[in-house]
Amino acid sequence: MRGDKRFVGAESREARLAWAFVLPALGTILLIALFPLAWTVWESLHVHDLRMPWRGQPFVWLANYAEVLTDGRFWGAMLHTAIFTVGSVTLELVLGLVLALALNRAYRGRGLVRAAVLVPWAIPTVVAALLWRFMFDAQAGIANAVLMDIGIMDRPFVWFIHSAGAWVPIILADVWKMTPFVALLLLAGLQNIDTSLYEAARIDGAGPWRQFLHVTLPLLKPAILVALIFRTLDAFRVFDLVFVLTGGGPGTSTEPIALYTFNALLQNLRFGYGSALGVVVFVVTFALAMLYIRALGVELTQAPE
Amino acid sequence: MLEHPDVRIVRRETPDAADQRHQLYVQWLNARASDPDILQLDVIWTPEFAAAGWILPLDGFGPPVEEYFPATIAANRWDGKLYALPWFVDVGMLYWRTDVFRDAPATLEELSRAAARARDSAGIRYGMVWQGARYEGLVTVFLEYLGAFGGRIMDDDGRIVVDSEAAVRALRFMVDEIYETQNVPRSTLTWQEEQTRFAFQNGQAAFMRNWPYAYPLMQDSAESRVASRFAVAPMPGADGGEPTAALGGSQLAINTNSENPEAAYAVIEYLTRPEQMLERARVVGQYPTRPALYGRPELARALSVAPDQARRIIERAVPRPVTPIYTQLSELLQIRLHRALTDQQPPRAALEAAAEEMRALLDKVGLAPKEPNGAGR
Repeated sequence: MRGDKRFVGAESREARLAWAFVLPALGTILLIALFPLAWTVWESLHVHDLRMPWRGQPFVWLANYAEVLTDGRFWGAMLHTAIFTVGSVTLELVLGLVLALALNRAYRGRGLVRAAVLVPWAIPTVVAALLWRFMFDAQAGIANAVLMDIGIMDRPFVWFIHSAGAWVPIILADVWKMTPFVALLLLAGLQNIDTSLYEAARIDGAGPWRQFLHVTLPLLKPAILVALIFRTLDAFRVFDLVFVLTGGGPGTSTEPIALYTFNALLQNLRFGYGSALGVVVFVVTFALAMLYIRALGVELTQAPE
Repeated sequence: MLEHPDVRIVRRETPDAADQRHQLYVQWLNARASDPDILQLDVIWTPEFAAAGWILPLDGFGPPVEEYFPATIAANRWDGKLYALPWFVDVGMLYWRTDVFRDAPATLEELSRAAARARDSAGIRYGMVWQGARYEGLVTVFLEYLGAFGGRIMDDDGRIVVDSEAAVRALRFMVDEIYETQNVPRSTLTWQEEQTRFAFQNGQAAFMRNWPYAYPLMQDSAESRVASRFAVAPMPGADGGEPTAALGGSQLAINTNSENPEAAYAVIEYLTRPEQMLERARVVGQYPTRPALYGRPELARALSVAPDQARRIIERAVPRPVTPIYTQLSELLQIRLHRALTDQQPPRAALEAAAEEMRALLDKVGLAPKEPNGAGR
């Protein structure tokens, strides 16, 4: 068959056509993803402080990365990002699952309720963050008023100057805003589960709890993983919420890595160092995504057995 | 302009927020834009722009420097040359309630005691409010307490001395005002100028540290409950130092790449004339940078604060450290100050850490003081 000239010609013509179809997409990716990335990596190998032109733009190999790794504020920012990611994503998954299970039941007006739970998700993050800042205001906020009314506190607590307390409004705001999104993803997963499986489980004498543990959860795993990927990668890049709520304070107690990078790049205009931070964030996010995709790949091939 | 019929002025709109305006300028000047010819600079930017070679020295034009408040000129000098002319001046001042106190406090101790009394007997919620959020405003407040105790951030040779005993005493005093006497509410650590003004004009605070802008706003009885029941004074001093006001305000400088520096200077010379400054005071309430004008009756009619009082405060004004990397140094200091004030770190440890970080930064960018042993302790 290989000797068949006609066939080879058709194959290569088809291949050429395929390349022609793919080329615009590849070109776009090259232009808007790879080129900026390569440039960022190149910048990160230089000292380039816009505000200190007298330092020039010398090539410094990996000096910026060495500075990143010995920078206490960088490690603090990574820790804060991890705290935020684990805290908010865990709560969103648990609450999202509860919400999805409730939404999955048949009752009148279900469509309306499903639309209504999405409202927080539709509100712009900056607006949501401002709302939560007002709610957690020490004097005028509803959070302190409620906590004092039910007797948990006897005087107003200033949330935003407490290095642990400042996390409460940040994580709550994210949970409030993103839980509906997680619930929606999980709801789609729930609706893919064959109801006959529950009948079979009931006939075998499994109660609701065992049905949940042995039917719902295993079959929902792919949906849970998808939700986890989206939320983890999103949470890792958190910026606007913290920027509005605490600005990273008190001190730098709630400063996530995206805010620190923004600060180095756009406030202090340290393009070299800021680019190095950006590259580090990229590598970590990429590794996380790869990890999840591998796990998800395994799950997706195993799930429909 | 009548004297220069060939000069036509085009105004360029810039963002109101200082950070954003600064960012825009840096982008323009890095791109070597010849336009705009004249730049309005915040007082802390002049050395940065001068060291970057973005603005021209003005000494060759023969500006009448002796006619200005010395501090406003000092803030605009870099490497022995003058790079910008002070256009209008801003200073930190103490607002106090005339219906609660007979006189302004003469020392910080007195202020603290008076604030505590006002809370106990006059039922005023807060003794004292200032700008305590983690931003540039916090450094200006600290600078005033620092001066009161005789400390400085940077000495005349460019050495960082913010970890001196006087500085530790100043920061400890601020911390104690929050947690010991509780004159200063913890909320103040999230407040900028406007939140402190709201607290004061609602009658909730006995004292406030703020800039002159708040004065006319709080005289408006439709909005303010303390209209005509407050006055201003210099921020008081303490043991070892003297009353100090943080210096702010705007300067005018010439873009290095300007195609017409002579015409640009002619415009600056015009805008900084005495009559122009009186006009600015009348129209927008901005304070002249020429002390001689404070004796003029027109100024008394234009400003809400009595000119001789304003002048006394401005004469107490000290610039923030004059260095091209002020903003970065300030950020390091802000973080440490905020940690100390939010009780995450003791004052001494916070200031020592800040000083160490600031020295390391100066060292790294080649601005460390020349003499051996730059530790400055």
